[in-house]
Amino acid sequence: MHIPDGLLDPITTIVLWIVTIVIMILGYFRMGRMFEKEDSEKLIPYIGVLAAVIFAFQFVNYPVPGGTSGHLVGGTLVAIILGPWASVIVLFLILVIQSLFGDGGITALGANAFNMGIIGGLIGFYIVVLFIKLLNKTSLKKELKVTISTAIGSYIAIVLASFICGIEIGISGTIPIEIAIPAMVFWHLLIGIGEAIISALIVFYIYKTKPDFITTESILGMK
Amino acid sequence: MAEKGRYKWPLITIIVIVAALMLVIAIGFTIGFLSENPDGLERVLIDYYGEEWLENLYSPWIPFLSWITNDYVAGIIGTVLSIALLMGTFYLITRLKKRKLE
Repeated sequence: MHIPDGLLDPITTIVLWIVTIVIMILGYFRMGRMFEKEDSEKLIPYIGVLAAVIFAFQFVNYPVPGGTSGHLVGGTLVAIILGPWASVIVLFLILVIQSLFGDGGITALGANAFNMGIIGGLIGFYIVVLFIKLLNKTSLKKELKVTISTAIGSYIAIVLASFICGIEIGISGTIPIEIAIPAMVFWHLLIGIGEAIISALIVFYIYKTKPDFITTESILGMK
Repeated sequence: MAEKGRYKWPLITIIVIVAALMLVIAIGFTIGFLSENPDGLERVLIDYYGEEWLENLYSPWIPFLSWITNDYVAGIIGTVLSIALLMGTFYLITRLKKRKLE
C-alpha cells in the first residue's frame, strides 16, 4: 500500500502531510504515561526489538491469489504494544527508512503515514478496543480476547486504509474513484488476512512470553 | 552489570530476528512461500495503466539506498537503521517528557 512519488496531486499530498504532522504532535502530548515514568528508559531496548520485528516482517512478502502479494504493515500491532499515539510516530519512522530504499515515496510520506499509521494504528487500535468490549461479555481467557480482537481490528484497519488510499488516488485524478476504491478494497480484503494472522500470532506470543510488554492493557480494558 | 543485563535479551532477540529474516529470505523464494508479485496498490495501477507506466512514474528524488539490490544487505541495513532511528527518537521523547515533569 506504499504510495510512490508522483501518484498524488499536490493538494492531496500537502493536506495529508499537514494532518499527519498535526496528529504526530498531538500524539507526542497524548502518548501514554509510561514514557514519563522514572524507569521508562527500560522500554527503549524493547522498542528496538519492535523496530526489528516490524522491518523484518515488512520484508516478507507472502503470495496472495490473483497475482498480488502482501506483507505485514503492523500499525495495529504496534498500537496494541506501545499505544495508539506512539504507533503513529513508530510507523512514520519506519516509512522514512523504507522510503530511503524506494519503498513508498518521500513526498508521499504524509499520505503513507496517514494510511498505515493513523488509520492502521490509531483507528485500528480503537476497533480492537471495541471488539474487546464485546468479548468481555464472554468467558474467554484474557489473551484470547486480545488475540481475536487484534486479528479482527488489524483486518478491518487494513481494508479501511485501502479504502482511504482508493479515495486519495481517486481525488488526485490518477484513477477514476469508482474504479480505484473497489479495486483497492478487493485486493486488500485478501491481503488483510495475512496481516490479521501475523498480528494476532505476535500478540499471542507476547502474552505467553512477556505480557508486561503489552503496555496498553488498561486502555484495552483488560486491567 | 545492570546495564549489560538490561540490553542482553533485547540484543539477543534482535540478532535472532535478523538471522531468522535472512533464513526466511534464503528459503522463502526457493520453495515459493515468498512472492515477488506487486502489492495491492501496484496491482491496481498495473491493471489500469500497465507495468511500464508504473516504472516511469515521475519522482522528484532518487532514494538514497535504492542502489542496494541485495535482499540480505537491504534487510540488515534497514533493520539496523530502523532500530537506531526508533530507539534514538523514543530515547529523546522519554527524556523530554521527564524534563517537563521535573
